[in-house]
Amino acid sequence: MHKKIFRSSVLITLFILITSVALIMGILYDYFESQLINELKREAGYISIAIENEGLDYLSGINDKNERITLIAPDGTVIADTVADAESLENHGSREEVKLAIQNGSGTSLRYSNTLTERIVYYAVKMEDGNILRISTRYHTVIIVLLGLIQPIAFVVLIALLISLWLCHRVSVKLIEPINALDLEHPENNEIYDELTPLLKKIANQRKTIDKQLKDAIKMQEEFKLITENMNEGFLVIDKEMRILTYNSSAMKFLDISEIGSENILSVNRSKEFRKMLERVLSGERYESETEAEESCCRFIANPVFAEDQVIGAVIVILDVTESVNREKLRREFTSNVSHELKTPLTSISGFAEIMKNGDTPDEMVVDFSSAIYDEAQRLISLVADIMQISELDEKSVVYEKETVDLYVLSLEIAERLHSEADKKNVKINVIGDTAEVIGVRKILDEMIYNLCDNAVKYNKNNGVVDIIVNSSDGKVKLIVRDTGIGIPLSQQDRVFERFYRVDKARSKAIGGTGLGLAIVKHGAMYHNAEIRLESKENEGTSVSISFQGDAV
Amino acid sequence: MRNRFDEQLLQLNNELIRMGALCEEAIAYAVKYLTDRDAEMRENAIDAEKKIDRKEREIESHCMKLLMHQQPVATDFRLIASALKMISDMERIGDQAEDIAEISEYVHLSDLSSRVHITDMAEAVIHMVNNSIDSFVKKDLDIAYSVITMDDTVDEIFLKVKKELIEAVQNGHDDAESLIDILMIAKYFERIGDHAENIAEWVIYSITGKHKTT
Repeated sequence: MHKKIFRSSVLITLFILITSVALIMGILYDYFESQLINELKREAGYISIAIENEGLDYLSGINDKNERITLIAPDGTVIADTVADAESLENHGSREEVKLAIQNGSGTSLRYSNTLTERIVYYAVKMEDGNILRISTRYHTVIIVLLGLIQPIAFVVLIALLISLWLCHRVSVKLIEPINALDLEHPENNEIYDELTPLLKKIANQRKTIDKQLKDAIKMQEEFKLITENMNEGFLVIDKEMRILTYNSSAMKFLDISEIGSENILSVNRSKEFRKMLERVLSGERYESETEAEESCCRFIANPVFAEDQVIGAVIVILDVTESVNREKLRREFTSNVSHELKTPLTSISGFAEIMKNGDTPDEMVVDFSSAIYDEAQRLISLVADIMQISELDEKSVVYEKETVDLYVLSLEIAERLHSEADKKNVKINVIGDTAEVIGVRKILDEMIYNLCDNAVKYNKNNGVVDIIVNSSDGKVKLIVRDTGIGIPLSQQDRVFERFYRVDKARSKAIGGTGLGLAIVKHGAMYHNAEIRLESKENEGTSVSISFQGDAV
Repeated sequence: MRNRFDEQLLQLNNELIRMGALCEEAIAYAVKYLTDRDAEMRENAIDAEKKIDRKEREIESHCMKLLMHQQPVATDFRLIASALKMISDMERIGDQAEDIAEISEYVHLSDLSSRVHITDMAEAVIHMVNNSIDSFVKKDLDIAYSVITMDDTVDEIFLKVKKELIEAVQNGHDDAESLIDILMIAKYFERIGDHAENIAEWVIYSITGKHKTT
């Protein structure tokens, strides 16, 4: 821009310089010419007077190289001439200036000389005696004058040019300076040329849009990062060259790496299963796989990303499925346990029945067998009842009616029910405390306390004691069932709530029970949002406490 | 132009990782077959070897194409040159894993394993191969150097196994064929260890430009 301004202003100055020199020269030249003619007129006046007074001799006295004076008769013949011999000159009557002088009294004419480098001005005047006096002088043509003046003109032009160059340079620099100094960060704050205002406004607007878009983009990225970072699921995005584009910290945890140094996902994990997944997903297929490590199980879900029917990458989500896999395992165990537990009494029932089927059995044996079958059937019934109970609690879909239950009254009822059982072992059941109301499901609460007390009686020593302590403070109800029984070894205390878990498998057979009692208690407590604590010492006794939250259920 | 080249280099890198992973699998299968005698593992090992051979051809032509079309220099050239060397080592590992799987058919390790440290050797070699591939994948010099030192351990175990086998022969062990086979397997393991070391050396070369032998 600086160059362009400079160049065009120099060109303009040059043009003006040349035209002005030419114009001035033209005007001056014109002026010189008319000046010359006037001079000739005046001279002609003087000479004509001189000739009238002194005659033709005056002419011969004039010896001027530049001027030529001719005296012409009215018929055109030359009477006298200061340069040439009068006789040798032809008739001048046809000359333009002479003709004009004859007609009008005076006349001028301009003619080029033979060489063209000079011009001759003729002036003719009619004298009193009718003769015509003609004076001519030669002067240089414009070109010659100019050529003569070339040195001073060149000098002037040179100086003018230098000055103009300097000025142009300065002007262009001055023009550009504020533009260069524009503050484009804040375009609207600049106050320079009015012509630039619309441009600056436009820039300001664009800046605003860009700022906004940038802010949006950053915000979106932050949101994205926040979401992915707070995901428990691992999240990976790769392109079709298997470069990692995005990942979150959970993904790093699942892939068991501390940092992603390389951008290549194969360098993170190159196991067969993983490679197969990448291959399949990058060929445009959704792929799911599960990997099982010692302690955790992960499920990889890989989805291809398409753009214009081409796979451009893949999104991989990694889920921790340890819990659900474990639950599945538990369920399988439960099923096999249930079948086993159901099979045992059924086998004995079928065995006794088979013996009796043959008909040769003595009567007293039949009674024995029948009572055995009855016992086993009872066991089956209670087992099935327990299983139903626990699966109902498992389902959580069954809706129970909730009501206010007084645990103290309930405990008294249960103690009453267990009375005969306790008497067999001479176990004393004490219910201590007073009214303590909780909101809950009577059926489940009954089952829970019954199971606890039943265990306390069953696993008690002869002449033992079972205390059921109910108390409430600050709206929180606590129920403790304490016995003086055989206790549970410390190593097994956290397992007794598992389904079908038996501390002593041999003894359990004699005592009976389904192995589901404490599991039901645990589930019931969970249902009521209550907390279970178990304290036990071998051969001293066990105490199980259930704390109900004040605002429970 | 450069972009396309970068992409091709990345592809080469991925292919090498895949081939390395296949080697790891092949040797793992062979060892599984040796110890557990699961016939499926033998098939897997042979299958992996075939895949490795195919991969070698693929990578080879890939490298040639890169060399001719892109005429790489410096690091890029070193990567391709060392890739060409590495794949032949990997191919040998695959072959030897297959050989182990084939010989294992006639070996009855069960009554020998307590006396011969062949399983220790297998473990050490698997570890070595894993590490050599890891050093390439992670471009990690430390791991590469550790592979080179590990080769000495494998050589030591080889000598130990040899000695144990000699003892078994001297004591008149009745299954002489198994003993000879185990010696061959041990030798194969030792060779695999050497190849793993070679791979580690080429990894070092591709990173630093210096090869151990020069």
